[in-house]
Amino acid sequence: MSTEDSHEDHGHHLPAVQDWPRGFGEASWWPFVTALGGAGIYFGAGLYIMGSGNNQIVSPIAGPAVIVASVGLFLVGLYGWLYHAFVSHFWSRGADEESEAALRWGMIAFLGSELATFGAVFTYYFFIRAGAWPPQGAALPPLLNSLVLANTALLVASSFTLHWAHVGIRRENRRQFVLGLFVTLVLGTVFIAGQVLEYFEFIVHEGFTITSGIFASAFFGLTGLHGLHVSLGAVLLAIVLVRALAGQYSAERHVSVSTVSMYWHFVDVVWIFLVVVLYVGAAVGAA
Amino acid sequence: MAATTAQIAFAVLMGLLLAAVGAWLARVENWRSYAPTDGRAAAGERTGYARREKPAGFVRWLTTVDHKDVGLMYGAFALASFAWGGLAVLVMRTELLTPAGDVVAPTTYNALLTSHGITMLFLFGTPVIAAFANYFVPLLIGADDMAFPRINAIAFWLLPPAALLIWGGFFLPALGIDAGPAQTGWTMYAPLSTGAGGDAVGGAGVDLMLLGLHLSGISATMGAINFIATIFTERAEEVTWANLDIFSWTILTQSGLILFSFPLLGSALVMLLFDRNFGTTFFAVDGGGPLLWQHLFWFFGHPEVYILVLPPMGLVSYILPRFSGRRLFGFKFVVYSTLALGVLSFGVWAHHMFATGIDPRLRMSFMAVSIAIAIPSAVKTFNWITTMWNGSLRLTAPMLFCIGFVANFIIGGVTGVFEASIPVDLVLHDTYHVVAHFHYVIMGAIAFAIFAGAYYWFPIYTGRMYQRTLAKWHFWLSMVGTNLTFFPMILLGYGGMPRRYATYDLPVGPTEYFALLHQLATLGAFLLALGQIVFVWNLVQSWLEGPRVETGDPWGLERDDLLTNEWEWFDRKLETAVADGGSDGAATSAAEIRAAETARTAAAGGSNWSDAVEADKDGTERRT
Repeated sequence: MSTEDSHEDHGHHLPAVQDWPRGFGEASWWPFVTALGGAGIYFGAGLYIMGSGNNQIVSPIAGPAVIVASVGLFLVGLYGWLYHAFVSHFWSRGADEESEAALRWGMIAFLGSELATFGAVFTYYFFIRAGAWPPQGAALPPLLNSLVLANTALLVASSFTLHWAHVGIRRENRRQFVLGLFVTLVLGTVFIAGQVLEYFEFIVHEGFTITSGIFASAFFGLTGLHGLHVSLGAVLLAIVLVRALAGQYSAERHVSVSTVSMYWHFVDVVWIFLVVVLYVGAAVGAA
Repeated sequence: MAATTAQIAFAVLMGLLLAAVGAWLARVENWRSYAPTDGRAAAGERTGYARREKPAGFVRWLTTVDHKDVGLMYGAFALASFAWGGLAVLVMRTELLTPAGDVVAPTTYNALLTSHGITMLFLFGTPVIAAFANYFVPLLIGADDMAFPRINAIAFWLLPPAALLIWGGFFLPALGIDAGPAQTGWTMYAPLSTGAGGDAVGGAGVDLMLLGLHLSGISATMGAINFIATIFTERAEEVTWANLDIFSWTILTQSGLILFSFPLLGSALVMLLFDRNFGTTFFAVDGGGPLLWQHLFWFFGHPEVYILVLPPMGLVSYILPRFSGRRLFGFKFVVYSTLALGVLSFGVWAHHMFATGIDPRLRMSFMAVSIAIAIPSAVKTFNWITTMWNGSLRLTAPMLFCIGFVANFIIGGVTGVFEASIPVDLVLHDTYHVVAHFHYVIMGAIAFAIFAGAYYWFPIYTGRMYQRTLAKWHFWLSMVGTNLTFFPMILLGYGGMPRRYATYDLPVGPTEYFALLHQLATLGAFLLALGQIVFVWNLVQSWLEGPRVETGDPWGLERDDLLTNEWEWFDRKLETAVADGGSDGAATSAAEIRAAETARTAAAGGSNWSDAVEADKDGTERRT
């Protein structure tokens, strides 16, 4: 008997009809594969730590090897998961309000947890900022420059272009939708490149590295964490863009556009807060 | 040159590995073991439609996205962790029998102490609650499954590797790696955890533990997001906010706490990892300092207490009325007190830091909130007592554990109010009084509620009934064991015995008094262990050969109008099973199964097997 989305006999909705292994409604290899890959990254990090420093107790190649293999496995799992859960049979899968609401609430809850993730590192910065400023011993790098301003403008603009794209799909204007997504992704990528350039300037030219004192920990901790989030956002945008180019989404079916937008706007807001507090706040207090 | 060649070879190797994985996954569809079972192999599933939903055998468990299966796996994992944490503490209690250190080295004691705390909180407490929540929240709210079934499965599968990393330090010497387990205590205070103690205390074992904890935190956060989305959006039409059951309320509140506390710990752990390995200054004296770690840790740590205690309170609020023959007294206020505890729990963290020399004005405000948090806890306690007042109590195993919960929670709570007061805390800080306080809550209350849930729902997840006599042995051994272990610790605390010490062979001080109390506590710990062996024995034996439950209402809840959704679901499942009975491979027909059960029940001494029999008897008595 074939597995349908729901059975007439007991009305039970089966969540994983498309997944491998085929032919079952409640079985999928993807969570296991993804978890194995994800956990492998942590094992690799552990091996890397044991293989580095003065006291090498495992081979230094072991950590990177396990990390690379695990990232591969992780991506395979993630790909299969997203593909079977969202991408395949896009037009025929059930898109009731209930499952859309679940995804939206899922993203809202995730963004709530992100507040806590950023909160810990911001707390460190406020902790040291409560002491004497500028911190003794280490000079602050030139924080306020045209690069930060340009990057901020780029990221803020990208929120507007993404919203423009979102409006586009809601009005069934495909051209506006795809163009808006594409421009957003370009702006996001340029932002990441700008951050890399800033790191390069600071580390190579200014000699300001992660070990350069108490402000450096806050600076690289916060910008690094934020950079990781922008990078994840860019990956999500790219997935949405590819699906849009493949002809998916419509005025009625665009919940992942909504959730990715929420994430992107959130990352944007964090950046504005970060610029005001970390860049402007540190430079102004030191003047 | 050699390095470059090695790297190229390595890249090629990785490419091959990925290709192999891809090929394997492509083959997987045709794998023979996926052939649908004819009913023989899918353990515990007797319903006909199971054949279309899950593959047979072991693969079923690796691939399942069914909330009930995931719940069972959480339960099995939590039980294994409980055993590890329990064995660790038995070694420690044995060491404390005498003042001198004569069983294990102090460093081993430190490592066991660390592992016991971390294991019980992160690998037993949180997962075992997830086990109940996964299995029962969807049934209680009438959902098909969790909102995100795959995220549910991945959240579970991250836990076993996290446990391996957390316990990793114990295995490293056996692997020929020159490092040992972490000895930082579960609080991982800087500067000890940043490496001040050198490799002997804070070597690679600490790094592995931090990584494992971070992974387990991701797992918990994913679960919390899933529960929030599920309870918000997947409720059946007839389940409204007004009639949402109390257990789901506590799970929702707990998930909210997890959402804002675990990720914060996650960031703090990564910061600690960077301090240890990459030269940052987050918790260095020049930077945030050891106090920043304590603030961040306890901003997570105190909500964590309520993450662990709220759902067990929900279990007690849910189960206790069923055996009192009446509805929960003041349901609304139990919900309000749950929400109040959830909010207040974020405002009490610095009461763990009264002795650190933080600003007295700050200390005072935390003392006020800490004492205030006793109020919602007391609201719950009085509601449980009033529910039982004049009720027709049935002292089944789940009910005994609920009553035990209330009794132990009162002791755990009242000792806590004393500690919340700054002047008293300055005397009792870092003594065994604190250990007694939180163990009364964690073992005496939280674990008791878990046992209550395990017995109450045993028919649902096994289809069978547990053995009543063994369950009562389990209860009394646990009740006596808990009080014998932890009450002496209150006195040890008043005597000034510091916690975390491997030895107490002191030139001054009441060593004999300490030794006597420690010996009582050790005796209690072994009683507790004996009780848990009885528990596991009962669980396994009854699961395998207990009498099958034939009714959807084994507790006789219907006559008090206390029947709930999960039992109605169970009843439907039983009816489906009877209708499909002929297709069950192992026993050829439902009638034959029942005949076999009857014979087995008779052989086992009949009423010996079940509280349900007792329930019926009591019911009859009550009606006459």
